[in-house]
Amino acid sequence: MRWAKYGLLGANLAMLLVAAIERSAQSATFVHQKRYVMGTVFEIVIYDEDLPKADAAARAALDEVVRLDGVMSNYKPESELSRLNRTAHLHPIRVSRELYDVIEQSIYYSRISGGQFDISVGPVVDLWKAALAGGSLPTTAEQAAALRCVGYKEIELLPPDRIEFHSECMRLDLGAIGKGYAVDRVAEVLKAHGIRRAYIDAGGSTIYAVGAPPGANAWNVQLRDPSGKLVPQIMLMNNSVSTSEQSAPSVLQGEAPGHIVLPQTGKPLQTRYAVSVAAPTATASDALSTTLLLLGPTKGAALAKTLHNVAAIWIDSDGQRTIAGDGVGFQLAGERLPVALPSASGTTMETARKDSNQ
Amino acid sequence: MKQLSLVCALLLGSIALCTPANAKVFFRVAMPFLPPADKTGIQDLVLQWPSQDSFAIAQLRSQGYRVWLQCEAKELTAAVTAAERTKAAGVIIASAPSSGQPTLSEEIRSYMATHKNTAFRVLISGGKQPQMKGRLVVERNGVLQVSSPSTQPWLDTNLAIVRLAQATYPDSVPTIYDFRWEPAEAPAGAWKPDAEDFALAIAESDADRADVIIDFPAPLQKALNEGDQQAWSLWKKVMLYLKFSSQAQKAKTQPVAGLGVIVNEVLASYEPVNLMARHNLAFEVIRPSALTLARLSTWNSVIVFCSLTAEAAAMLRDFAAKGSVVIFVNPHDEFPWHSAAPDRREAHSAAYTIGSGQIVELDEPVIDPENFARDIRRLIGRERSAIALWNSLTTLVTAYRKEDLRDATLYLVNYADQPDNVQVQVRGHFRQVRWESPEVPCCASLPFAERDGFTEFTIPSLRIAARVHLDAEKSSAAH
Repeated sequence: MRWAKYGLLGANLAMLLVAAIERSAQSATFVHQKRYVMGTVFEIVIYDEDLPKADAAARAALDEVVRLDGVMSNYKPESELSRLNRTAHLHPIRVSRELYDVIEQSIYYSRISGGQFDISVGPVVDLWKAALAGGSLPTTAEQAAALRCVGYKEIELLPPDRIEFHSECMRLDLGAIGKGYAVDRVAEVLKAHGIRRAYIDAGGSTIYAVGAPPGANAWNVQLRDPSGKLVPQIMLMNNSVSTSEQSAPSVLQGEAPGHIVLPQTGKPLQTRYAVSVAAPTATASDALSTTLLLLGPTKGAALAKTLHNVAAIWIDSDGQRTIAGDGVGFQLAGERLPVALPSASGTTMETARKDSNQ
Repeated sequence: MKQLSLVCALLLGSIALCTPANAKVFFRVAMPFLPPADKTGIQDLVLQWPSQDSFAIAQLRSQGYRVWLQCEAKELTAAVTAAERTKAAGVIIASAPSSGQPTLSEEIRSYMATHKNTAFRVLISGGKQPQMKGRLVVERNGVLQVSSPSTQPWLDTNLAIVRLAQATYPDSVPTIYDFRWEPAEAPAGAWKPDAEDFALAIAESDADRADVIIDFPAPLQKALNEGDQQAWSLWKKVMLYLKFSSQAQKAKTQPVAGLGVIVNEVLASYEPVNLMARHNLAFEVIRPSALTLARLSTWNSVIVFCSLTAEAAAMLRDFAAKGSVVIFVNPHDEFPWHSAAPDRREAHSAAYTIGSGQIVELDEPVIDPENFARDIRRLIGRERSAIALWNSLTTLVTAYRKEDLRDATLYLVNYADQPDNVQVQVRGHFRQVRWESPEVPCCASLPFAERDGFTEFTIPSLRIAARVHLDAEKSSAAH
């Protein structure tokens, strides 16, 4: 496996963990594996005294992501989601527990966000992704046609395992929640293998921490900051953080596409914010980071306050920030935020924005 | 930037009109012991000079290897003498001369003229181990950080330094690149670098059509010498890729590229060119002195990273007027089209409509190469793209064709080492599409479709390397 890395703290790659970790942790061993799947690189770091066990656990967890990609991919024509997209407008389709579960959770986030989060936005997103990839910008007519296919209320869940679309052109895209769902599954697989200290990273945009690294109370994750002024960080232990940000604006052209699209207008979101959301699960942080970016800090903060153990931080390119929610705290450069922050320093990492596949 | 230290010194010289005939893989060894060449599949070995004695060279030559001596530029005279005395195949010069001395190119050409039995290569610095990277990397302060602000997999590739070197060195002075294996510890009983690491390095060299020096780890060398079964199992996998590489087209070829890049100073253009390579923008690099109407006729877009003469600027204006796109990065010159107001002005750029094309000027250096590469792709648009890959973010493609022929060969390298179905779109009409890989003997036919002037096909399960042969219709253009 060319992507597997092993080591002991204090040597070569093992330098990857912070100097702040206590001396007692110096003998802890770790496994680092990565794999390209779901259009990004999934990485897992596991601390365990039993390296072969950790290695097997990481491998099994990444295999699970590959399996889930076969369920949830809208790029693979043979995936379960693609089959659903092709046929669910004709009659109810029986789906796997995972697909039913992730769609059900998606509809929950659609409801609580008043439709800002909407996995049926696929046809519109595809138009703009094509433009991001070098195609021409979609015409008004193309946008209008795609927009007619959008609407999560046209998805009908038929418990326990069937789904039907009430729109002929509906096409679901799990890009705003699928990676988070997979990260949660990775955590479950690792725990089932007896792993107690692990860091799971889906392309930097969605992270889940199992336990804490040796000698620390939590994993210290550095968050995306478009201003470069705030150095936001968060401590994670058995919870998740995700970051969303619109595609970078064009420097050579005027109107630019973007991969995050407003379901109401079918146009790319115009925003200067990056938002990071901490939540008990990666599914929640993944879905909410997109939702709260779309809502913006005012409406988003109102929503975040209604959710248990969810906290969000919006930062714009000038360094203006809004923080809302509870359960965990964000730490900013030069500021002390005592909100539920573990006291000890931990391993520092950084999240990045979610991005399109191009 | 350390990696560019020598590349930056590669400035003057005429232009490489074609890419090298084919890539050769050299292995740099520390010890003069290796099983015979017919067992390892290796042809060329590199020894560091002057640390090796004549015995080592003789020993390896007796095993069937061609031996090259790698030396510093200041040691060139002595190394050439030693190479001739020991019947070494050639000399690889590892660094540029200091200022005030003749340029390396001139010095080497002088040696080439007087030492006809000795081959020469200039070693380009700045190479890196080809690999797909994750986000978790080592920082100097020991903090685990991410490597990139994007979720797109990051590929370390040598295509940019190869193309820049091919442009800045004369065709008559062959170049070669190398890299150091990045430290990574393997589980007990496993080798690192492993077979896939070697295979990727070989495949990349093949795809870039550039010679490469790969370090032969001493423990592996020793294990092969001792007949270690596990070592030989690894090496047999590597040999598959060596064989595949050696079967590549031997004729001189031209890159299939619709985008020309004009550079005069490597440092200012390296990062943008690297990201353009990463985004599979099929491009050629030239120096301004090589800009001709004939060269422009093969492109539909140009990016300019340097000052141009008034004559060259006029040539590019006429080029744009015919429907092409020209992008100037941080220009300091006054151009004739400045007499009119731009048709569009953004915060850091201005666009001028010229005839049926446009000229875009970015009034600052490239600050975000990733975003710049995406912008370029959008600006030149699908209709001007020579090649595009879909749903394969870990594969890079290069394409070549023989002079005066419309047939083309694509070289694909998947940096993720996980089989991927790669969807390919190539401009032009072709009679037949065939492919081969180390795992698929030459050649299997691929079904293809034609759409909007492009030929589209899917390579099934691309693991690390593949070549796709596009046989042209006799009466249609492949480019």
